[in-house]
Formats: sequence, structure tokens, C-alpha cells
Amino acid sequence: MPTKVVMPRLSLTMKTGTVGKWYKKEGESVEKGEPIVEVISEKAVYDLEAPASGVLRKILVDEGVDVPVDAAIAIITAPNEPLSEAEIAAEMPKEGVEEEIKEKVLASPAAKRLAREYGIDLSLVKGTGPEGRIVEEDVKRFIEEAKGMLPKVKEVIPLSGYRKTSAERVSMSFKTAPHSTIMMSVDVSKAALLHARLQVSYTAIIVGAVAKALAENPLINSTFEVDKIKVFEDVNVGVAVATEQGLVVPVIHNTDKKTLREIDSAIKDLTAKAREGKLKKEELSGGTFTVSNLGMYEVEFFTPIINPPEAAILGVGKIVEKPVAIDGKIEVKPLITLSLSYDHRIVDGAPAALFLQKVKHYIESPESLET
Amino acid sequence: MRKMTYREALRSALREEMQRDPTVFLLGEDIGRYWGGAFKVTDGLAEEFGDERVRDTPISESAIVGVAVGAAITGMRPVAEIMFGDLVALAMDQIANQAAKLRYMFGGQAKVPLVIRTPFGAGVNIAAHHSQSLEAWFMHVPGLYVAVPSTPYDAKGLLKSAIRGNNPVLFCEHKLLYPIEGEVPEEEYTIPFGVADIKKEGADVTVVATLYMVHKALKAAEELEAEGISAEVVDPRTLTPLDKETIIASVKKTGRLVVVCEDCKTAGVSAEIAAVVAEEAIEYLDAPIKRVAEPDTPIPFSPPLEQYVIPDEKAIIRAVKEIV
Amino acid sequence: MLNLTKEKLIEMYRKMLEIRLFEEKVFELYAQNLVPGTIHLYTGQEAVAVGVCSALRKDDYITSTHRGHGHCIAKGAELKRVMAEILGRRTGYCTGKGGSMHIADFSIGVLGATAVVGAGIPIAAGAGLSIKLRKTDQVAACFFGDGASNQGTFHEGINMAAVWKLPVIFVCENNLYAMGTRQSLVMAIENIADRASAYGIPGVAVDGNDVLAVYEATVKAVERARKGEGPTLIECKTYRHRGHSRVDPARYRPKEEVEAWLAKDPIKRFRERLLQTASLTEAELRQIEVEASAKVEEAVKFAIESPHPAPEEALEDVYA
Repeated sequence: MPTKVVMPRLSLTMKTGTVGKWYKKEGESVEKGEPIVEVISEKAVYDLEAPASGVLRKILVDEGVDVPVDAAIAIITAPNEPLSEAEIAAEMPKEGVEEEIKEKVLASPAAKRLAREYGIDLSLVKGTGPEGRIVEEDVKRFIEEAKGMLPKVKEVIPLSGYRKTSAERVSMSFKTAPHSTIMMSVDVSKAALLHARLQVSYTAIIVGAVAKALAENPLINSTFEVDKIKVFEDVNVGVAVATEQGLVVPVIHNTDKKTLREIDSAIKDLTAKAREGKLKKEELSGGTFTVSNLGMYEVEFFTPIINPPEAAILGVGKIVEKPVAIDGKIEVKPLITLSLSYDHRIVDGAPAALFLQKVKHYIESPESLET
Repeated sequence: MRKMTYREALRSALREEMQRDPTVFLLGEDIGRYWGGAFKVTDGLAEEFGDERVRDTPISESAIVGVAVGAAITGMRPVAEIMFGDLVALAMDQIANQAAKLRYMFGGQAKVPLVIRTPFGAGVNIAAHHSQSLEAWFMHVPGLYVAVPSTPYDAKGLLKSAIRGNNPVLFCEHKLLYPIEGEVPEEEYTIPFGVADIKKEGADVTVVATLYMVHKALKAAEELEAEGISAEVVDPRTLTPLDKETIIASVKKTGRLVVVCEDCKTAGVSAEIAAVVAEEAIEYLDAPIKRVAEPDTPIPFSPPLEQYVIPDEKAIIRAVKEIV
Repeated sequence: MLNLTKEKLIEMYRKMLEIRLFEEKVFELYAQNLVPGTIHLYTGQEAVAVGVCSALRKDDYITSTHRGHGHCIAKGAELKRVMAEILGRRTGYCTGKGGSMHIADFSIGVLGATAVVGAGIPIAAGAGLSIKLRKTDQVAACFFGDGASNQGTFHEGINMAAVWKLPVIFVCENNLYAMGTRQSLVMAIENIADRASAYGIPGVAVDGNDVLAVYEATVKAVERARKGEGPTLIECKTYRHRGHSRVDPARYRPKEEVEAWLAKDPIKRFRERLLQTASLTEAELRQIEVEASAKVEEAVKFAIESPHPAPEEALEDVYA
């Protein structure tokens, strides 16, 4: 008799669980009581034991997949027991099991139209039509009752193209990498001189400083991959550009090996191309760090979101003349605030701060960048 | 205003158009002075206009229509009568392949100002060969206009337009409509094709009905009114061209549609009207569309059998109640 | 000869030639893939169309069939516009909407060709009724084949025309085959003209390959009609030189039969007769031949250079 291995209910409120690591492979023999797979609920990680002895004949659900409680995730059979395709198929999780199990809402076309116009979630409306179908009256009543609480929809913008992709990426970045942001004030008076002398932009100086600091703090020039941290050899700094279509991050490859002048001209060239939508594929990929400057919008400091799958991102604010105390005396200095958001899984606060200090150092002593 | 029957209204239209235009003439079986038409529509006209212009024909449906086509393309305006709608089948080539297509095939050189009048409908126990409703056949032929007047007022106005127009018209009458009375203006009037008539205004459900079913729908609407359901009865009056705007505007108002046509349900007139509304106004439907029609059978003879297949007020009320 | 003027004879010969050369040209163009669909050539039957139409006025009507290029040309249609229609061009008589089987020219009384066998018979009767009601002295000629004489419309249409004494000339072109079916397989009589007596009208069978014989019979029928005496049925015994449609090799016809009929070619015979009776000289005949050939070439050039209709035109002219 084939035995199903099912997703256990690990807590009273658990509806679905994720299959974690399989400790056994298909075809291996298992003992009743032996842990064969890791299952994960929102609250806990659990080693699931084999409910019977025999052979782990078929794994139905792979690592990382969500299934509802009680769904079969594997089949154990006696060593030479026959198992037909049909029997396997009968146990396979149904399509769409990874998604949330939503109940289909029964509503008339007129009700749907009205709900759409008012931005109403139909699952909140009670239906009084046949078989509980929501009719226009029901939606009208809902609107009446919610009057004042529900703003009328002016426009519904369907999510597509750039907006859709960006929303997905930014969500993914924020959800997977625990963000922490540290801010540091930097004196750009010396950078101003360099900017005037070499005719390079402040952004170029900052990018140059970042590249050099990354070369010296390789852990920041990395990416987090499930169970490892991959540190990159190349330092490829991307510079965020706001275009009509949205935010684009063209990449300067091997930034640490370029001179300030080369960095400056690369930034100018890539920015122009970005605005015309003429960036090539290579110019948009391979980045290991991103610099994002919101200074021209008068932002002083902010909490940028890491450009996935990078380890960190540097936000640059506007230059503000501020009085500072130096040796007990007040002087007015041009200051800029750097905001470094970093993936806390890769580095903690101290190494991140050390890196940022290095960046600050190179900006405040920019002659070190001229080589 | 004058009260007259549907049959009298038709006769009045024929008379007035024949007086007005010498190219208008009538032909058909037994329409002349010896019988005056199987349903007495042409009664008295031969005496008034002569046997040349009100012409009895041999029993030759195909030639009746064919001769009418030949006369129409050489300057005349014939009104041919096919005694029973079921018999159009005998003339289908001349109607669908010739009358409907000559203008198009000849690149606009010809016009075919021909009217074919014929009664459809069941309810008098004359069985399968004399009781069908075949309007859908003609709605499906490009090149033909199709009229389905339900009242004396509509009948007279539409027949005059049909005769004066330059397109071949299938003028579909209904046997049970001939004796019904209605108000008809004394003065000259015509009704354009492609304009529906709201026979009764309402707010809860749109009932589109044709020919004799219009009257059943109105009776049903009265009963429904007493129960607090307000039905709007829309009479398309012509199937080609079809007044989609009026029908859709009504559905937008009520959110519910019942279509009542006497022909057999499958691929009948109600199917086309339902499809148009589903295609162009589904967002306004608050419930499924219901069709009330004859079942897919020939018309049986014995009274209880025939009554069973003809849609009645009860069926209309039932359909409405299923969706309000 | 037959009280016919020289002009009349020239006209008849010219028209027969134009039809013959036109049809042969269409045959060629088809092989060059310029003719969409199919064609039903009139080759060999020229004497019927020309014989009949020569007895008609411009304001008389004719109805035609799928094998109708000859009828329309004989009645006076422009070769250019017939050719353009056959090639599906916008400059054709029907702006490309009809094609070979539906040529019409209402300005010269050609009420159109129908492709439903026999459908033209009641329509021609209707034209006759129209004439009668309008009290003019026009007549209508109706062309149809041996096959059509078995269609219900033959019976209904001729009966109605007969009882109402309509001014119609019913011309049956008996070429012995309805598509691939020999006459003797589908009717028990030999002369379709004999059916006329069933309707109480005169019926006459003539040599359909003798243009003057056809002409003579038609003149009599036209006179009868114009006088209000009613319709006539003229059966013209003739033969198609080619198959039913363009791709039909007509293997259902015995070789000897084909050869015998080819020897009775109406154009050859008329030419010989004209020479014999010294009505026309060889030089004059050659001249007509050259002109006819040139006219056909001109028609082909016109048609090939004409544009196709715009696709959206498919939606026009459904209703008036």
C-alpha cells in the first residue's frame, strides 16, 4: 500500500506550509520515524518524519514550494511495489497551489463595473442575488453605507511595463534583504576645488571614492545567495538616472580601474543615453553597487532601497553650507550627507560604517583619487 | 385618429401607395376580385385599381417573386403576397439569391424596390406547413430589409415606407394580428425602418418582443406591474435594420433582458438580439439574458399540443421572475 | 439576302468575331492566372446571341446566364468593361463585385447574368410584365440552356408569361449538355421547343449555328411580342466548342460528335455564306477580323492595367 507523506499542520492557524530541504532522495530507503524533509511554516521549521518504512518512491513537491496543509508531498512504497502514473497524478498538487487560495466571487457584470468604478473589493460585498451572486444593488448599498469612508476613484492605472517590473523588484529587495541605513556628513570643500580644476562632476568624485573604498572593503561589493555570500572581483558601480520611463541604473564597468576623468565622461555619456532610451544591454547589467543622487531635488538624506541583488546602495543628498565647529571656532563649510543602506545579512553596522568612513575619507581628500 | 384593424391598416397603405404612384402594383395568389386575399388584406383593391394592377397569379411562388424581381429592376414597385409564410421556402432562390443580391453583384447598377408580404405565426390549428415563424431566415440574408409590425399603426406606416423604399423588403405579418384594432392617424404618415418603439416604459426589466408576442408581453407586463415589477416592453418593429441603440439604452436602464419571439429558439431572432446585447452591453447586465421562444419543434395540430409550444404570458412572467 | 442591309451583316459578323476572339483571349488569360475563379466560355454558340440580339433594340431587355459573355457583347456591352469585370478590376461593369457569371449593363438593357440555372426565366417574365404595365412596346429576351428547361422556374415563368401574354422571347440554347449531363439522360423528349405547346405558346427549333436562321426566328417572335400577342419559345440547336467550365476537358462527349459540330462552326459558315452571296468581299471580311482582334487586344490591355477595388468596397452597395 503506497503511503502519502503530507504537509503537517504545525499550528492551529496554519493554512499552508513550505517544503524545505529534502534529506532523502527519490529511490532511497526510509525508516518509519526517520526525518526525511524539512517543512517550514510562518512560525517554525520542522523535521518531518517518514510515516512508514520503505522506499521514498516519488517526491511530489520540490524545495521552496508552498502547499496547503494535508496536501501530499511525497509517496513511500514497499521496495518493489508497483505505482502507476495515474496514482501519482491523483496525488499531485493542483495547479496554482503556490498562490493564495482565493474564493471566486460571484457577481453580475453590472455589479463588477460599479465596483471597479469605485475601487471596491467585491469580496467585502454581501450578495443577495441567486446563489449569493452580488448584484448592482448590493454594490450600491455598500457604497451608500461606506459613504464618506470611500473616496471615489478618479483613475485606475493598470500596472504594466516599467511600473510593474519596478514594483516587483523593489518589493523583492525590501522583503528579502533586511535594510539598515547609516548617515554620515561629508565636507566637500576640497572636492569643490577638484570639481573646478578638473571639470569633473561631484557625482564622478563620489563614484570614484566609492569605487576605491569598495576595492578595499570587498565584503560590501557582494551579493547574498540563499546559503552563501558571493564576493565580486569586479567593481561595477551603477549610477541611478531618472528618465521619463522611470529609474534606470546604467553601470560603469571596472570603476576602480578608471580615472576620475574617465568616470566623469562615462557618467555623462550613460546619462544621456539613458534619457534617450538608447542604453545597450551590457550598459545595464553587471552592477555590484549603486549610487543614487537626490541632491538636485533638495533632499538632504534618505533611506534608499538596495538595487537587488547588490549588497548596498549609497544615497547622496544636496550640498548645504552649514556652520561647523572646528577647534572651538565656527566655520561655514559645504556639507553633503551620505546615506548608506546595506543588506544586514551580509554586513553588520560596524563594517558598513567602516566602508562609509573610507568613502568619506576619499571625498574629503580627493587628491588620492587623482591617480 | 381612426380605429382600424391591422388588416385594414395594411389595405389602407396599399391603396394610398397605389393611388400615389402608378408603378406600384400587387400580385399574388387569390388576391384579386374573386377572393380578396386569403386573409382579406387586398379585399376591394382589384375593384378599385383593376385586374392588371391587382393581379391573381398561378400557384408559382418562385415565379411570383421572380416576376416581381424582374418588374422591380425595370422600373416598377411590385408588392407580392406569399399566402402563408411557410411557403417562402418555395421562393427562397428568388428572394435570397436574386432579390437580395442583384444590387450588390451588379456593382450598384440595379435597385430592387420590391415588397414581399406574408403572414407568419401559429395559433389557429392549421399545423406544421401553415404556422411557422421564419423571420430569422431573412434577418440572416444581407441585402434584405425585414419588417415585423405589431400594431395597425406600425403596419400602415411601415408598409408605406417599404413600398417607397428602394430595397427588397420581407414584410412579415402575423395571422393573429389581422383582426386586432388600433388607432391610426387620418393624415399621411410613414414610419422609418430601423426605429424601435417602446410600447410600455418600465424600470426593472427590458422585454424585447416582436409581432404577436408584443401583445402577450404587454399583458404579462400588466400582471407584473401588479406584483411590483416594472417591465419595459421594446418593439423593434424592423429586424433589418435593427434599432440596437434603443434596445441597449433600455438594458442600460434596467440591467435585465428578456427576449420574446415566436420563432423556434435555436438560432432564432431572439438569439441575435441576445447576442447583440451581450456583445455590446454586457457591463450593464445584472443577470443572465433570458429568451422566451417556441421549442425546437414543428408546429403540431391538436389544440393542447399547439398551445403548449406557443410562448404565452405565463412563460414571459416566469422568465422575468427568474432574473429580477 | 433576307432583306438585310450590308451594315447589318457586317455588324453581325463583327459581333460574332468579337465574341469568339474575346472568349479565346479569356481562355488564354486564365492560363496566365489573371482570371480568378472559373469561366464558362461561349465559344461555338455565337450565332445564338448575335442572331437574337440583332433583332432587338437598345431599349429591349435581355437576361443572361453563367455562360453569358456572348449575350452581353451581342447586346452591345463594352468589351473593355466586360474583360475588366472578369479580371475582378474596379473598372469592370460590376466594380469587381460580380465577375464572369454576373455581368450586367442596365444602360443597354442587360438586366444581368444569374448563376442559378433557370432563375432568369421568371425575372425576364417580370421585365415583360413591367413593359406591359408601363404600356411601352419593349420586349425582353431570356437566354437559358437545355438544363434550365428542367428547372421549376422554366415551367412557372413561361406559364405566367403565356397566360398573361407577356412580351418575352424565351431562347433555349440547347448545346446538348447540362454541365456534363447529356440531354437524353435527363428528359424524354428531343425538342425542347415541343414544350411550348404545353403552355399554349408557339415553339420553334432552329439551327443554332446559323445566325440568319436564329435572327429570322427572333424577328418573328419579337413582332409577336410587340403586338401584344405573347411569348415565344425558340430552341437553338448549338454546341459548346469547349468544356463546361475552364477546367473541364469534356471527356463525356464523343470525339465524333465534337468533330462533327466543329465542322459546323457558325462563324466559318456565315463567312462562307457572305462570300458566296457576294454580300461582303474577302478584303472587307479581313478588315472586320483585324478590327475585332484589335478591339479585343485593347480590352485586355485596359483590363490588365486597371486597379483592383479597395478591400473595404466589399461593404458597399448591399442596400440602396
